[in-house]
Amino acid sequence: MTLVETRFPSTEPGRAGLRLSLLSEWTKVRSVRSTWISLIVIVVAGIGLSALVSNIEAGRWASLGVADRLQFDPVRFSQTGEFISQFVVGVLGALVVTSEYATGSIRTTLATVPRRSTVLAAKGIVIATVIFVVTEITAFTSFFVGQAVLTAHGGRTLPSGSTIVTQVTSSAIPVIGITHAGAARAVFLCGIYLTLLTLIAFGFGFILRHTAGAISSFVGVLLVLPLIVQVLPSSIADPIEKFLPSNLGLAMIVVTSRKTDFAGVLMAPWMAAATLLGYTAVVVALGAWLLARRDA
Amino acid sequence: MIRAVGLSKHYGRTRAVDDLSFEVRAGLVTGFLGPNGSGKSTTMRMIMGLDRPDSGSVTLDGRRFHDLPWPLREVGALLEAKAVHPGRSAHNHLVSLAQTNAIPAARVDEVLEQVGLTSVADKRVGKFSLGMSQRLGIASALLGDPEVLLFDEPINGLDPEGILWVRNLLKSLAAEGRTIFVSSHLMSEMALTATDLVVIGRGRLIADTTVAEFISSNTVPTVLVRSPEEGRLAEALAGASLDTTVRPGDGGGLVVTGATPAQIGDVAHGAGIALHELSPQQASLEEVFMDLTSEAVDYHGTTAVEAVS
Repeated sequence: MTLVETRFPSTEPGRAGLRLSLLSEWTKVRSVRSTWISLIVIVVAGIGLSALVSNIEAGRWASLGVADRLQFDPVRFSQTGEFISQFVVGVLGALVVTSEYATGSIRTTLATVPRRSTVLAAKGIVIATVIFVVTEITAFTSFFVGQAVLTAHGGRTLPSGSTIVTQVTSSAIPVIGITHAGAARAVFLCGIYLTLLTLIAFGFGFILRHTAGAISSFVGVLLVLPLIVQVLPSSIADPIEKFLPSNLGLAMIVVTSRKTDFAGVLMAPWMAAATLLGYTAVVVALGAWLLARRDA
Repeated sequence: MIRAVGLSKHYGRTRAVDDLSFEVRAGLVTGFLGPNGSGKSTTMRMIMGLDRPDSGSVTLDGRRFHDLPWPLREVGALLEAKAVHPGRSAHNHLVSLAQTNAIPAARVDEVLEQVGLTSVADKRVGKFSLGMSQRLGIASALLGDPEVLLFDEPINGLDPEGILWVRNLLKSLAAEGRTIFVSSHLMSEMALTATDLVVIGRGRLIADTTVAEFISSNTVPTVLVRSPEEGRLAEALAGASLDTTVRPGDGGGLVVTGATPAQIGDVAHGAGIALHELSPQQASLEEVFMDLTSEAVDYHGTTAVEAVS
């Protein structure tokens, strides 16, 4: 009993599905200033801190004792910005969801698609892709900038496969090439770490539906949880420690140079990445379940 | 067409909607009336698939919201005017909505033109007045050129010109054969816009009827009479074999219930009393509504009249 000739027939094959929602979510992400400000902070903090910290550490090399020289980690210095970026991506991941709850526009969004899971998937894919691309570019650029700074201070590239031990007695600052065992993996996993954190905050967003709640939970997991574990008796704390998200992140960017240091304390890099992926899956799945179940 | 059957919904211990059944026909403006907090918005959210009913169901042309392949093309809704990210422009907001249902970008400019927001299309929505936000909400409802349209309190925040514009828009959309369901807590507004009425109070259905029928079936005819001998007239009316009640009118004169103007005139003539005015009174929709829902209002002001019966 259609009386109206509507311009966009609802009988058209297909439906308002994921592909179209991806376009919509991309429009949303790129049309607010907070996205661009956050991304600029990630890039500037990443590359800027890499240059700064590498410069400072290079200056200290000559005065370092053997023990301290064993701690010298050219890859990690180049990824110092990651510490700041993890909070930036957390805020961004949460806001993508909670800003819609704060304004009520989540209801407008959900009223455009038949399935709620489409909205969650589209939002998650878009923000994770944006963060992945930006953090990988930043991580690799930071790596090369950091090594260039060390080289400029007279650093010498370590032969691939060797450890810093070979250079502790030398006056040359160790520099790590991208082909050095584990270097490319460490830098790559830096972007993966930040992308997974984005999705954890994103999941908190759907679970808590509140900006302050989602962001403080995220910060709690990264900063407060390690403090709590630290004050526990070591019989309890030791087996738990390596499962903390922050330590998983550390495990992911460790390179050969520091391996001995952390043996037993940290997981193997890929194992750590897989564990964090598991956490992410649980948080996002809980968010998806609640989204499907609760009134919007 | 919208059909609700036995809709119920509670939040905690509050029954928001209680066994609500009604139909909204195509080609008409149907007013959805009820005091604030009576369950209008909850009902609209259930129609849009946003809140899940505890029991009962609501369908749009026979289908539930979640079974619509292209929701925006079938049902447009203005639920909350300010439900837009304040940092996004009106144009980008509408583009993001249009994309989900494969609606061409040119349609965005069209609806912006239709609601009169073309000149501010690229301004951040956070800077919009309530009236402008309301217009943007209406634009988003119209975006998919849908057959069914829901408007929750669309004239809130609009200036007189905007209110007139909404009235005409609703009527012309209905004239095109669309199903228009518009909620309001203002009776007078519905009297001007709606043909059919669904009236609720405390989540329960009070009436599902037409505006004209709603008024006539809920009012007893009253007549205002003015006379130089009102005291004697009152006595004469009481003495006549009529079941009338007489009370003083607010602006002087007598308000007589239970007799036609002809009967009152006859009584006056018989008693030799001159009449200066004899006029039938049309009860306004507002009064009818107040009477009907006074028991069903959750939040009375302290000076509000308590339930009569």
